[in-house]
Amino acid sequence: MELHQNETRQLSFHGEGAKLFGIYIVNILLTMVTLGIYYPWAKAALLKYMYEESEFEGSRFTFHGTGKEMFKGFIKAIGIFIGLYGILFLAALSRNFTITMLGVAVFYIGLLILVPIAIHGALRYRTSRSSWRGIHFGYRGDRKEFLNMFIVGSLITIFTFGIYGAWFVIEIRKYIFKNLRFGNITFSYEGEGSAFFWMNFKGYLLTVITFGIYFFWWAKELFAYYVDNIRMYQGETRLTFRSTATAGGYFKLIIVNLLIIVLSLGLATPWAIVRAMQFVFNHIHIDGPLDVNAITQTEADYTDATGEDLADMIDIGLV
Amino acid sequence: MQHFSARYHDGRRSIAHDATLTLRPDHWLIHYQDPSGELTSARWTLPGIVTDENFSDLFIFRYGSFPQQTIECKDRQLPAALTQHYPDRVFFKKGISRLFKLSNTAIAGMAVLVVALLGVAYWYGLPLLASAVASRVPVSAEVEMGDTMYENLLHGYDVDSTLTVKVNDFARSIDFKTRYPIRVTVVREKDANAFALPGGNIVVFDGILRKMKTKEELAALLAHEVSHVHYRHSLRNVLRSLGGYLFLSILLNDINGIVTVLADNSNALANLTYSRELETEADQKAMAIFQSEGLNIKGFVDLFTMLKGEHGDMTNLKLLSTHPLTEDRLRAAEAAVKGQRNVKEDAGLERKWEDIERGYHGDE
Ligand SMILES: [Zn+2]
Repeated sequence: MELHQNETRQLSFHGEGAKLFGIYIVNILLTMVTLGIYYPWAKAALLKYMYEESEFEGSRFTFHGTGKEMFKGFIKAIGIFIGLYGILFLAALSRNFTITMLGVAVFYIGLLILVPIAIHGALRYRTSRSSWRGIHFGYRGDRKEFLNMFIVGSLITIFTFGIYGAWFVIEIRKYIFKNLRFGNITFSYEGEGSAFFWMNFKGYLLTVITFGIYFFWWAKELFAYYVDNIRMYQGETRLTFRSTATAGGYFKLIIVNLLIIVLSLGLATPWAIVRAMQFVFNHIHIDGPLDVNAITQTEADYTDATGEDLADMIDIGLV
Repeated sequence: MQHFSARYHDGRRSIAHDATLTLRPDHWLIHYQDPSGELTSARWTLPGIVTDENFSDLFIFRYGSFPQQTIECKDRQLPAALTQHYPDRVFFKKGISRLFKLSNTAIAGMAVLVVALLGVAYWYGLPLLASAVASRVPVSAEVEMGDTMYENLLHGYDVDSTLTVKVNDFARSIDFKTRYPIRVTVVREKDANAFALPGGNIVVFDGILRKMKTKEELAALLAHEVSHVHYRHSLRNVLRSLGGYLFLSILLNDINGIVTVLADNSNALANLTYSRELETEADQKAMAIFQSEGLNIKGFVDLFTMLKGEHGDMTNLKLLSTHPLTEDRLRAAEAAVKGQRNVKEDAGLERKWEDIERGYHGDE
């Protein structure tokens, strides 16, 4: 038995479509009846459910955030967005070229500043409210540092017509993983911009040439590149993540989910989400001798939910 | 004394201790073995215990300040035991989260309710809201907004400036009795189509002009479009479409991009169309203009018959799909013709019409 050397662990997802459907329905109903005010509570309920159906080493994850906490952030986020869209709208109405351009500039500069603040805030909030066996996650990134990195990266990406985008994405992942904590466990991301760029270049080209068929291989490669480059450190021990997803698996997941959603006119979406979660969890392995009983609490509490909802509204698809 | 088996986390390390929970009058006792094998206990006084709301059958309680201790218990008898031991304390609130644990029938019922509510909001609430908002928009703002839309829209068309001048000249001879500045633009398009933007811009395809035989037909078309502007039908439609777009994107944002795309397209199609009520209202106003101008209402009958007559001709469907033509509209026009007394022959308008006709025949 070579169990010790080949030690590997997996997450598992136990959510059920029917239960998730119930949560969605109640959420939609209450959000409608309250004209949207229930939204933060709906979000909290959904996250709570998704977390508590996620299991690792026999213990479930927990999301401690509440709608009440997120409500303030939600209101702030709506205010900021109404303000930005209001500026854009009034500038467009002026029908004066300079004023319109100025309005558009203010709008996009506003977004460029808001997006990183939202990502940062969401990471801080979400991680501080997540735990496993009572040990909290945490994010130690610095807002100013992240903001600078994000704005500079975005500008270079724009001026290189998107080419720098690959390096930019990798840089962001490196920064986020470097600052991610789970108790005393630390992480890192080992991807490289050039490799990521060529993977996307090849993926895009072959997808076009094969009329989209290659897309599933591309998706598989992107997933593998994300997962395989994550490292986890427990003291001196280094643990690696490994993807086992195949293009065929991706094909089946995407096609069946599409059919489920389209044929049910969206009503069966919760079942599709459960399938996607199971697919992701089933295809990630954590290799190495992790001592699951020796993780110690290190992260403190954090309170500011603004980022959570800003991120949600800009829809940058965090985790 | 009741004992429950539970899992205990001390909040400092990630060990899951198998523990025994004992309920005492003013505190809970948790016994477990620490890693060295020594029997240890934790004492939770009642006021510090917090129930963790969740959706599964696992009962989770936390204690103390950060980092909190946690116990998880799967025993279904626990809630009953808690009420029995601590009658004054509510551990499981009957909050909204209880709704999530309803039976399948209740959830199915709620799903039906949601779908019905969404339908009502979309088909009835949105038009009502749109007309309420439309009636509060000042004319100047409407004209400004419409002009911006017009400028954006016109990039996609090839304007016939000669015909545009002539048709505007024609339109100026008719008093449409509206405070909106009416401006007509003729564009080179084969389809028989015309539409009105909020604030007074009317776009006419030369395809429909070529099919007209009399000045009354053109006057009828213009009067009809002007009436859409006058009653703010166009603004209402635009607002409804915007509202519909917002509504669907908010609704589907969390769900899926594909459905959004599908829904958006159908939304755009659905909203270009004026409702039958709006068509009738526009016709009535347009015929009233004809009455006071002494124009022959037969122009409407001819226009409708021209559109309807070539029903097999696909090019006509454009106008019919945005301005639904019904038998009722045709019959109402025929009835109005019979009721009309004061038809005058307007030689000036006739000359302008002949000029327009010459304009597009000259092109060919
Ligand atoms: Zn019409």
